Amino acid sequence: MERLVVKWMLLITALLFSVQALANVNIQTWQTQKGSKVLYVHAPELPMVDVEVLFDAGSARDGDNWGIASMTAGLVGTATPKHSENSISETFNELGAQIGSSAGRDTASLHLRALTRPNILTPALDLMSEVISQSIFRPSILAREKARLLIGLKQKTVQPQAIVSDAMWAKLYGDHPYAHPTAGTIKTVQSLTPQQITDFYHKYYVARNAQVTIVGAVDRAQAEKIAEQLTRNLPSGNKPKALPEPKPLSQPHTILTRFDSSQTYYALAQIGVKRGDPDYYALFLGNHLLGGSGFGSLLMEEVREKRGLVYGVSSGFYPMKVAGPFQIGLSTKNASAAKADKVVKQTLSDFMEDFSDKKLAAIKSNLIGGFPLRIDSNSKIAGYISMIGFYNLPLDYLEQFPKKIESISKADILKAWNERIHPDKLLTVMVGQPQSK
Amino acid sequence: MMMRIGLLGLILIFSYPAQATVSKFQLDNGMKILVKEDHRAPVAVQQVWYRVGSNYEYGGISGLSHMLEHMMFKGTQKLEPGEFSKIVSKLGGQDNAFTSSDYTAYYQVVGKQHLEKVMELEADRMRNVVITEAEFQKERDVVTEERRWRTEDQPESKLYELFKATAFVNSPQHHPVIGWMTDIRHWTLQDVRHWYQKWYAPNNATLVVVGDVDPQQVYQWAQKYYGVHQAEQITSPKPRTEIEQAGERRIQLKGPTKSPSLMMGFHVPSLVTADNPAEVYALSVLGSVLDGDDSARLTKDLVRGSKVVAGASTSYDETSRLETLFRFDATPSKGKTLQEVEAALWKEIDKLKSTPVSHKELERVLAHAEAQYVFHQDSIQTQAMILGSLVSVGLPTDTYENWIENLRKVTPEQVQKVAQKYLKRDAVTVATLLPNGEEAKPASGQMMHGGIR
Repeated sequence: MERLVVKWMLLITALLFSVQALANVNIQTWQTQKGSKVLYVHAPELPMVDVEVLFDAGSARDGDNWGIASMTAGLVGTATPKHSENSISETFNELGAQIGSSAGRDTASLHLRALTRPNILTPALDLMSEVISQSIFRPSILAREKARLLIGLKQKTVQPQAIVSDAMWAKLYGDHPYAHPTAGTIKTVQSLTPQQITDFYHKYYVARNAQVTIVGAVDRAQAEKIAEQLTRNLPSGNKPKALPEPKPLSQPHTILTRFDSSQTYYALAQIGVKRGDPDYYALFLGNHLLGGSGFGSLLMEEVREKRGLVYGVSSGFYPMKVAGPFQIGLSTKNASAAKADKVVKQTLSDFMEDFSDKKLAAIKSNLIGGFPLRIDSNSKIAGYISMIGFYNLPLDYLEQFPKKIESISKADILKAWNERIHPDKLLTVMVGQPQSK
Repeated sequence: MMMRIGLLGLILIFSYPAQATVSKFQLDNGMKILVKEDHRAPVAVQQVWYRVGSNYEYGGISGLSHMLEHMMFKGTQKLEPGEFSKIVSKLGGQDNAFTSSDYTAYYQVVGKQHLEKVMELEADRMRNVVITEAEFQKERDVVTEERRWRTEDQPESKLYELFKATAFVNSPQHHPVIGWMTDIRHWTLQDVRHWYQKWYAPNNATLVVVGDVDPQQVYQWAQKYYGVHQAEQITSPKPRTEIEQAGERRIQLKGPTKSPSLMMGFHVPSLVTADNPAEVYALSVLGSVLDGDDSARLTKDLVRGSKVVAGASTSYDETSRLETLFRFDATPSKGKTLQEVEAALWKEIDKLKSTPVSHKELERVLAHAEAQYVFHQDSIQTQAMILGSLVSVGLPTDTYENWIENLRKVTPEQVQKVAQKYLKRDAVTVATLLPNGEEAKPASGQMMHGGIR
């Protein structure tokens, strides 16, 4: 029972906070012989290592087969010519090593967390390397995983938060590859075949489309060896084509889905910015004040603290390979939905007009003073360097971030927001039984 | 086989470089202090744990501990409502709080140079919070929204609430941490003020600090800030020990869900309540044999093997302050019924009763636990959480350090014995969730432009 849990509202929180950190992370980078990018940070204090192999193979690469990227990531490691599903999972589990995969819109990745004792790390890496390059896709396993996923997808149709999220992406992105749900839909998942999965795997899980990140108690020589081992047996392949730029909405739009819930689940959104956008710092800093910093933010003050309308409200940019969404999210009892909508829109437009210097100073101080907290664990460092590598941000990105934040003025923020956010063309999504007064 | 793991484990434990010992202090007013050094980053976490949670509550005031947690951010004699969080935010820190059945805790993560400041702030609100009617009413609205979001609109959460209320008749485990809606609506200002006076005292609290700090320095600051408060007379709640269950209990809930699901639970002891703690470690191993990773039996046999379930898991809070439940959750695969799922779970339980678990399974459980032990040290928050939660239920601080050693002593026969003793058909509570046929109705023709106002 936390006083505030915001994770449901913005699918985004994790990435929101993954943008800044402190100067003293020594990131090293190089290419493997096969042409994969490597990012490495030496963290010798704990006898463990985090290793990730990431591909530009998220659901934006689904084509018409929505859900294939996610399904492929889920099935990698369920069988190789040498090993069965049970023997693969037993090997990792007997070592106490955690292996997992995930897929988002931009990327798909496999990650391993293991102790660095050689009799654990060596076999764990041997098997990880085997599953990355030699996975095969058994029809029986695909059928089973499809059936399990379909139960989840059916369940999503009665989860108001999921309905809000799917509707938001669909309307904002239209026919762009970001528009559809990462996991696919009931119809598209049903039609996935083992051959399609195999083709997807062969096309995207290739060395030139791979990035290896390593954080932990391994030295540079070991890290080089690990990166070589993980990518050596991948086909060279090629990077996929750049994604198209999404087109912003030309007019405001409201989607209302009647749903039998006690609350109305709400999102206000438009297309935001991509990673590396020069305006990002000003937008991010402004958002931190508007709704990105929990109890310090204007939305929380207006909607929760002054009026008691919600448990949580927040806003965020979700910078991606091409422009990701900007979103404000909340849920409130049906009777307050219209009021909450009004307060949110008013807070946004007031903020875009002006805000107090004192509040700006406080939020800057939060971001700059809080940098050490962003990099106080191996898992956080691994998240940052993976992001820096994939989005081709400069290696001194972390070092630069506080300096950039420091240098931004109120005028910079207002200018960037007024150029990039269009209150007259926002998408409003409501799921529930909002009452009009 | 066991020998090999034993030796490896020993080597592993002695080679943890970051495994600092815990410095323990106590102030004259009875407040406990635990400090663990971790010098990997110039950061520190402060957590203050109060021994009060929903299991300290009685009929009519359920959820009050959680409500009080919210009110703790509403200002003191020195601070305006919300100012606490704003100051921490300005320092670059993060702060929040959480309430469970056994405790309420407040934390701040800050650059180490700000630790003293947050200790001063936290000590201030231990005794000086100002609870006004206006703030109380607004925050009650927030909590009702929280309950709607967390429970009312979530059939699975509602099922869990009913399941616990059925499994526990007279134990305070009967009611939810957030409280019943009717209780939430009828708390009074006096209820909250009384709860604060009664439980928020230094001798009912533990300070935990983990990070790049000097334990002596932390102790001195603690004396300076927390040391000024008077100890209070703390009366433990009455026992309300759960009555014995003699016969199966079964409930059904219908809700807006597409997939049915099932919970099964059995009354079991925790490390705090057990006459024989070895049983708790055996039950913990039993849990990991069934559901520790994807080689565990529920996934291997029921998800991948017979494919009866789409997903199944177990849970068990070994360090609960009161008698607790060993719980199974499961969702059937398409075309399978809840009856088939229940039968499949019973088959797994019966297997545990009739056949000892293998040494290979025990080894896997230990390997997993050993690795987790190191992984948990990656986060200073997690390190502090573990210490604070143990002390707050009355367990020794080294419980976690000795965890693996205690798991290692568990034999296949002990696992079999606890399965036979606790996972009995006459002691089960079964709760099922069935779809009520509700659909999300896309409001065709209701796409509007320009908002709903």
